[in-house]
Amino acid sequence: MIELKNLSKSYTISKEQTSEALRGIDLKIEEGELVILKGASGSGKSTILSLIAALSKPTNGDVLVDGKNIAKLSDDFAALYRGKNIGFVFQKYNLLANLSVAQNITLPLIPLNPPLSELEEKLERVMQMFHIGHKKDVIVSKLSGGEQQRVAIARACINDPKIILADEPTANLDKTLSLHFIEILKELKALNKTIIVATHDPLFFGLDFVDREIEIADGELI
Amino acid sequence: MLLHPEVLAILLVNTLFFLFALIAFVLSVRIVLFYNADESTPLQYKLQKEGYLASTIIKFIFILKIPLFLFFVFTLDSLSNLITGAMCAAGVVDATVYGNYLFVLKILNLYLFAFWLMLHYRESKREVPRYTKEKYIFFLLLFILFMIEVVVEFLMFDAIELDKMVDCCGTLYSSASASYISTLFHINTPLLLGVFYANGALLLLFYRLKNRYFFALASALFFVSALLSLIAFFGTYIYELPTHHCPFCFLQKEYYYVGYLLYALLFTSTFYGVASGFTDEKRGMKYSLFYALIYMFIVSAYVLGYYFKTGVWL
Repeated sequence: MIELKNLSKSYTISKEQTSEALRGIDLKIEEGELVILKGASGSGKSTILSLIAALSKPTNGDVLVDGKNIAKLSDDFAALYRGKNIGFVFQKYNLLANLSVAQNITLPLIPLNPPLSELEEKLERVMQMFHIGHKKDVIVSKLSGGEQQRVAIARACINDPKIILADEPTANLDKTLSLHFIEILKELKALNKTIIVATHDPLFFGLDFVDREIEIADGELI
Repeated sequence: MLLHPEVLAILLVNTLFFLFALIAFVLSVRIVLFYNADESTPLQYKLQKEGYLASTIIKFIFILKIPLFLFFVFTLDSLSNLITGAMCAAGVVDATVYGNYLFVLKILNLYLFAFWLMLHYRESKREVPRYTKEKYIFFLLLFILFMIEVVVEFLMFDAIELDKMVDCCGTLYSSASASYISTLFHINTPLLLGVFYANGALLLLFYRLKNRYFFALASALFFVSALLSLIAFFGTYIYELPTHHCPFCFLQKEYYYVGYLLYALLFTSTFYGVASGFTDEKRGMKYSLFYALIYMFIVSAYVLGYYFKTGVWL
């Protein structure tokens, strides 16, 4: 389902200096797989996620999702692809602090302009799934870290995406909330979502419902 | 060189556009030579980014060229106060051998830039662009024409001599004129008007039939018939003078700058009309027809208004 072929990504630091975040990565992830991408900070985990989400373009190689090379998509089509296929949980959640829980969760639906009834139905479904319904109208800046994360996950799932990408999802959570997130992952896995979690949190290692753990160091798979 | 502030502004701005177009030209050459959609090499990703930059430059040049063109016409008109014998922009255009060529070239380039952007827009709506190379080859040709325009513009302003007597529009656009323009005034007026209104009816017909190819053709013909009938017939009602046929004077304040509106409607209508022949975008025909009908309404209103006011036809 997801195939990375000879994937490289360099960032330009200055005219003479570039930083190679990824070097010739080859990787296949099947539909419904839950993959933990582990490695130290700066190893290239987040870069892989951003390339799969078509948030950035590679320097070399292909990112095939369902056989389509999404690395070659123009910005408009990349946004369309993301809207339909990707749910992204960011490390810092990237919520809009002055909007309510419901407004944050429904943001990905706005460009699609669905009927109000459909929007509310989807909102209720994800709020129920991630136990955040009782905070529907609360401004997100007033929420705790764990609640904010549940809002971020609900937002990532509202479009019912096939692929869920989570970048260091427990970096700002204590152990209890991190374990709760792992439970949520289990539920998403049961829904046959393809999930990739980039993390260096040891809580994710050796979990029985995880299909694969892939280690990355200095932009290369180990 | 005529060192008039407005002339200097035009030359400076057009030179800046040219320098930016030069960047787009270099990027386009690279795309035409090396782009290959099937490869995923660093060069291809770089070319994709360069394509974004080139198209953004071209888009901005076009957007800014429209007001610059209007300012160019306005400047020609204001220069007529300085040139002996000139009464409006027509005299300035005719003051050098370059004037008419420059005018045609400017209009042609505006159309070509607009067509390029239309193709680009169509391409950007495709998930997998098909005509990337062709699009940039088209721009290379467009760049050459733009380069010629800039050079001819410099030559024209350089060649203007303030103390040299030029013909006024009354002489240039009269049936007694020695130029090819005089043949226009020998065309039978009812025939010209018949063609003009029949052309408008054809636009409406092909819009209803949703035949975009015939619509594009009718739109191109409408442009010609509208321009000829404006100079030969409708203009006289704007001026309320049966012998005055100048296509520039109605750009002046005395006529409430109506010329700008008429030309804008005509050029926009023609662009959308002709463009609809190349794309399956439905809106093009609608816009074209809309602008053409407003144009027809305004020019006809001048004639009827004059008749109701005075009880005579010119």
